Amino acid sequence: MSKGKRDRTAQARAVVAKQQAAERRRKVTLWTSVGVVMVLFLAGLVGYTVMSRQDDGKVTTPTAAVDDGTAFAIGTGSVVVDVYEDFMCPACGNFEQASGESLQNMAEANKITLRIHPVAILDKYSNGTEYSTRAAGAAAAAAEEDKFLELHNVLYDNRPEENSDGLSNEKIIELAKSVGLTSETFVNAVNEGTYKTWATDVTEKFSDRGYNSTPTILVDGTKLIGPNDTVPTSELLTQTIEKAAG
Amino acid sequence: MQKTMPWISTAARLALAAVWLVAGGLKVGDLAASARAVNAYDLMSYDTAKVVGAVQPFLEIALGLLLLIGLATRLTAGISAVLLVVFIAGIISAWARGLQIDCGCFSSGGELAAGKNAAYWLDILRDIGFLALAGILLWKPRTRFSVDGLLMGEER
Repeated sequence: MSKGKRDRTAQARAVVAKQQAAERRRKVTLWTSVGVVMVLFLAGLVGYTVMSRQDDGKVTTPTAAVDDGTAFAIGTGSVVVDVYEDFMCPACGNFEQASGESLQNMAEANKITLRIHPVAILDKYSNGTEYSTRAAGAAAAAAEEDKFLELHNVLYDNRPEENSDGLSNEKIIELAKSVGLTSETFVNAVNEGTYKTWATDVTEKFSDRGYNSTPTILVDGTKLIGPNDTVPTSELLTQTIEKAAG
Repeated sequence: MQKTMPWISTAARLALAAVWLVAGGLKVGDLAASARAVNAYDLMSYDTAKVVGAVQPFLEIALGLLLLIGLATRLTAGISAVLLVVFIAGIISAWARGLQIDCGCFSSGGELAAGKNAAYWLDILRDIGFLALAGILLWKPRTRFSVDGLLMGEER
């Protein structure tokens, strides 16, 4: 074999090897891409399935609840004031301190219908104890005993800080006792979490209605926001209510 | 350059993997909150937001794992880039409409407490940084320690 022929054979081999390598890369790219698309599709499917399963829980709606089962009403005034709040939310605590009493007074004087919607959007801030959901559930149980406002107020007076464990069920029951709520039905409902799925349901409806933050306050169906996206002050709230009352 | 580029790409691949794993991991535990975060952008109905909010964290984790092992790197980087562009567009749209929301990028975001201001430009800047990582991988998808490399029978 001459030297020139050997060189050509080697060159030909190199070309073939190169083509084979390219073919291999093409195949690998094709099949890995197919694999990746399938993995991503499956991952999405898992998410969808998990979500659908979560929706299946049976909801026990408290009989006292109004407005599509999302709220408890105080008073029968013509102006309707809706308040969506989370029992752990600091801004709600401030709002309750500033305006809670005057709203409740107006409701009791039947100047307004006060509808309080307990929602649970801050479960992630109670170290896994889901205080927001438990508290909202307890409020529903209290409503069934006609003591919603009593429990609502004592829970806000003892509002736990975010990123704490929240109040334990025992503590909630103890606080309830201090405001005259002692029934066994209530204690069982708190311990068994009877209304927890209801709290989740209310939170869903809250989102569905397009609200994102707590407290969300509505006067006669119109969202009331203070200047620069702040929670409305007590003055602004009273003015708006008086205007609505005409 | 021949020698260093695969290492730069490897770093980009692992960094982008970490981004997706953290982003998805922080959301996957509370899908309802994730749905609320999507809903806060006010771009779709709540029912749609629920699906997006549930699917997204799982997609993010899957993308993170695929990048971590380095499978079809150019494709996963491309999908990452598309997702990031969508996220950036979402943030810009929220900003433009004057919404005050948490971007929900590395949390289940959603609502911002009153008086807290959304720092949208920071979120956008960060996402552009991630986009650059994806860009490096789109341009030079060959990396060290990857399944791609193993399957291609590449020179070490």
